[in-house]
Amino acid sequence: MLNAKQEIAIKVLVNGAELKSTVAAESTLLDFLRQQSGIVDVKCGCNKGDCGTCTVVYEGQTVKSCLVLAASANNKEVWTLKGLEDDPLMKKLQASFVRHGAVQCGFCIPGMLVSSRGCLMRNPQPSRSEIREAISGNLCRCTGYQKIVAAVWAVATETPNEGA
Amino acid sequence: MKEYSYVAPASVGECLQILHQTDRAARITAGCTNLLPNLKSNKIPDCVLVDISGLQELKGIQMEGQTIRIGALVTIDQLVHSTEIEQGAAALWQACQRFADPLVRNRATIGGNLANASPAADSVTPLLAMKASVTVESVADGKREIPIESFFVAPGKSVLRCDELITAISFVSEPEMNSCFLKFGLRQAMAISVINVAVALKLTGNRIADIRIALGAVSPVAMRAKQTESFLIGQEISPAVLDKAAELVKSEICPISDLRASKEYRTLMAGVLLRRAIEAVLG
Amino acid sequence: METTIVGKGLPKFDAWPKVKGNIIYADDYSLPGMLYAKVLRSKYPAANILAIDTARAQALPGVHAVLTSADVPRNNLRAKFGQSTDIGAQFEGLYRVLAEKKVRFAGEAIALVAADTEKLAEAALELIDVTYEQLPGVFDPVAALEPGAYCVGDTDTNVVSRFKIRKGDVEAAFQTADVIVENTYRVPYSDHAYLEPESGVAWIDENEVITLRVSTQVIEHFRTIAEVLGLPHNRVRVIGTWVGGGFGGKEDITVESFLALLTWKTRRPVKLTYTREESLVAHGKRHPFQIKHKLGATKDGRLVAAETELIADSGAYIYLSPWVLLYATVNGVGPYNIPNVKIDTVAVLTNNPFSSAFRGFGAVQPNFAYESQIDEVARQLGIDPLTIRQKNCLQQGDELATGVVYDRHVGLSEAAEKAWQALGPKRENTDKNIKIGHGLAIGMMSYGRLTFLHDTSRSYVKIELDGSVLIRCGIPDLGAGQAQALCQIVGEELGVPQERIMIYISDTALTPLAGTSTATRQLYMSGNATLKAVREVKDRLLDKAAMLLGVERDNLRLHNEQIYDKTAPEKQLKLQAVVGRCSADGDEMYSEAQFNAPFTDVPISEMITGHTFADFTFGAYAVAVAVDVETGAVTLEKVVACYDVGRSINILNVEGQIEGGGVTSIGYALTENLVVEQGCLKSHSFAEYLLPTAADVPDIETILIESGSGIGPYGAKGVGEPSGNAMAPAITNAICDAVGARVTQLPATAERVLFTMLSQD
Repeated sequence: MLNAKQEIAIKVLVNGAELKSTVAAESTLLDFLRQQSGIVDVKCGCNKGDCGTCTVVYEGQTVKSCLVLAASANNKEVWTLKGLEDDPLMKKLQASFVRHGAVQCGFCIPGMLVSSRGCLMRNPQPSRSEIREAISGNLCRCTGYQKIVAAVWAVATETPNEGA
Repeated sequence: MKEYSYVAPASVGECLQILHQTDRAARITAGCTNLLPNLKSNKIPDCVLVDISGLQELKGIQMEGQTIRIGALVTIDQLVHSTEIEQGAAALWQACQRFADPLVRNRATIGGNLANASPAADSVTPLLAMKASVTVESVADGKREIPIESFFVAPGKSVLRCDELITAISFVSEPEMNSCFLKFGLRQAMAISVINVAVALKLTGNRIADIRIALGAVSPVAMRAKQTESFLIGQEISPAVLDKAAELVKSEICPISDLRASKEYRTLMAGVLLRRAIEAVLG
Repeated sequence: METTIVGKGLPKFDAWPKVKGNIIYADDYSLPGMLYAKVLRSKYPAANILAIDTARAQALPGVHAVLTSADVPRNNLRAKFGQSTDIGAQFEGLYRVLAEKKVRFAGEAIALVAADTEKLAEAALELIDVTYEQLPGVFDPVAALEPGAYCVGDTDTNVVSRFKIRKGDVEAAFQTADVIVENTYRVPYSDHAYLEPESGVAWIDENEVITLRVSTQVIEHFRTIAEVLGLPHNRVRVIGTWVGGGFGGKEDITVESFLALLTWKTRRPVKLTYTREESLVAHGKRHPFQIKHKLGATKDGRLVAAETELIADSGAYIYLSPWVLLYATVNGVGPYNIPNVKIDTVAVLTNNPFSSAFRGFGAVQPNFAYESQIDEVARQLGIDPLTIRQKNCLQQGDELATGVVYDRHVGLSEAAEKAWQALGPKRENTDKNIKIGHGLAIGMMSYGRLTFLHDTSRSYVKIELDGSVLIRCGIPDLGAGQAQALCQIVGEELGVPQERIMIYISDTALTPLAGTSTATRQLYMSGNATLKAVREVKDRLLDKAAMLLGVERDNLRLHNEQIYDKTAPEKQLKLQAVVGRCSADGDEMYSEAQFNAPFTDVPISEMITGHTFADFTFGAYAVAVAVDVETGAVTLEKVVACYDVGRSINILNVEGQIEGGGVTSIGYALTENLVVEQGCLKSHSFAEYLLPTAADVPDIETILIESGSGIGPYGAKGVGEPSGNAMAPAITNAICDAVGARVTQLPATAERVLFTMLSQD
């Protein structure tokens, strides 16, 4: 009855491609993406759900991939920043981040962009404080968030030339 | 080297069988928002990880008459976006909005928040104030309903046996009771409660006909402030009564000092938050 | 000077690869056959190591090396921290690679492991048996100064350095004061909390060069790494990656020596990345300070005397403590013209985590004290916060406490006024539990290193035959736009659009050494080096163009890859054509230039006088807070920053520095509490060490003053570190304005604010 395994074969649809691997029982989706699959646009800043640098879209939801068990991602769909490069909303966000100077060291950016996209998908017309709330699971130590909020806000209000 | 194993049962029944039969310690995993950080900190001994995240049976919110029944796998975010919860359980709805951060809310489940048994858990105080009961199931005993008030026994510990699974949380929606949740944390998001308070209250005229008060992070387990409740029931609302209640509640709690706050501060805050929560319910 | 590229908020060239996820940070890199390293760290803050037995770890299959201090060719070095000049023992510290007999702090590295997988390396750590004999240790810097205190190191004193400044006669001057304010301030440890933990990969290249690809602010550590291995300097190469945040925490050596040793022993590529928990214990922190400050003024608000005593907790090793202390000394009483000054500072070893560089580097701690003090003086005299500062702040031609006359523009009065005015009137408030307060604080901080460090930088600029441009500069880019600034300078001078410029940075083998990305020095130093290089190229180019066109050289202008005569624009040549002619004539259009900062002598006594810094950046913060009088919770409602940046090279990057530095200091002021008890860190992760989230901070309004008075390119000043200075006291001053409670210890948590209010009632 108890068919518990230490190593689990999984198949995950990552950025539209099926990736197969064998993962340890305790491996996280982040471990699977970064260490086993070489998908390094997803970052690891704390590995404990405290920083948001590993944010991905998992089964349509924006989540921290260090808080997902790799084994449970079997047959699930995952999108990382790189997989979303043709997504029209992501393209707008990327351009807006660049234009507003929202990027400093860049380490929070993959997660921040995925969260920002999640924010606008759910609430296309957020207030600035709603944007702040929506990205409050993603830490940034460089920018003070100001230009990140401005960049998301500009996409939401579709006034691309308005600065911070 | 730690050795974990993994199994994903296809049904609640199968899960219960696994819990019943396993000779190793088993740990239920779902949203993993507590489990994985603890595992990475080497706080989880070797065990079988029993992944229930795929069990559809545990994912719905149902109204059965006046009873709201929340499946154990309902996420905090689903509660935030549920009209049943918004209308039938204001305190819980408010608590879910202050829970961790938006990304964690997409993963964390109500069942997991209970199973984790933190005295600071944000969903627990509203559930205490609404006299919720926890449905647990096992092969040995079938289904049993545990009043949430007797569910927790110590920080990180509940009466849940290792062969049991939390399957649902239910409570009666009481339209005549208005409720409210207040949290004090050290920042606006990703903050563990320094203290939280939930109040459910029924007013007749200006008199408190019924009240239930729950507090988190001020005792080894989240608690009801029953002496304060009995003092308040039947009282006319007045600043003096609220002050008295605020004093009373301080004598009922037994907070500790930790990294987030001192015992003295938590004691003061209990009075402040209680008064504010009652005022907020009264509007 | 009119510019077309300099000053513009152009997108950084590294922004696109960053938003596309294309930057390969340190840990993103892997090599075939790579091993994974882990570090065994001390459990105790003070202990003797009686024995280390690595046999069981060595025997674990898949483990390729287990190293202790006995395996390190040179385990103890007098460290120069990336500095090339000899500055004497009083400004150097011991750099010990692995603990030997005596452990000095909890988390000190004891042994290294390289194994096939991370999991195996972790397992091997558990198999290393260390026998400790616990020692009492000392954890309070004041206690560590007492005679007979436990000695942290191997000498008979815990004193790292002492400095003093004397100006006038403070005793006599306090007699003339109408008001004297005396307080003791305490500031805590704080952590850089860059989101990218320390990381690198090392390998041995085909020429037996130990090569490290590592996230660092200082590629010049290659020399120290070579010395650790006992190799010639030219046998170690450091390739700096795009850094995922530094803030001073990647200024000291982090993973480099460990990686170099393990790759050297195993002859395999090795990766070492710290976990967040390890990062928190392994790297230096901002120094906690205890600051006694006494300030006297006459009734009209004129400061007459300041006396301050600063005690800095250096933790277990010296690292950059002497330098930080010197900054704190020079900044001890702030940018004020005070006729009588007495400053005494001391840095002390304890068995706490070691302290070293952190954005603000000794300037930010005394700022909290002196800006609180002047506010108290103003309160007691009934003078508003702006007036008292304008009355006393440094003006051009005033003398600093060290006796130096500051003869450049001082934007302080203007900055304070602009920030304070932009804050506007207090908002309406009807909530009885909320009190609104406004606070102001000013600050100064140097940019560029201490002048006795004899700082230099180099940069290389080349125009290719097709007119495209190449820059090589060994500048580590931490995300502040260090590299982008160089591209804008070169683009400005050559009239070449940004997309035609390529820059290579941060490689000790291939890019001219530009010095450290620390001390807010890169725009100033490497900006000037690059400007010098590009102007040398431009000179030769214009000579040739003038000859070819038969026009006056001084009338030539470069724009859009054309060279034309401004008096007769039809006389023009393509840049590419001129470069081609130069090349055909044997003159390649390249230059490598060196910029030298002004030099001064190394201080030889404790008494600090004269020049210590080349220049300072001045600025102000004004903030509005709402304080909840029942909970003590502080909400920041409005923040205005005003800085004289001299000249902005890229306005977005300048604003970004101020906004980011400001929010880091909001954390310092309100939420970040790195708890250390008896030498052991209790804030293990970002769940305990609380950075502000986006939801915790308001929009920041940034006002820039461009006085052109800096000594960087085009009159620019550095702003990276000065940007956070003065935020914390602006907040506590606002709290005091709101509720009358003077918070003298950071962070001003709700609990601390409430209990301060209750104790002052």
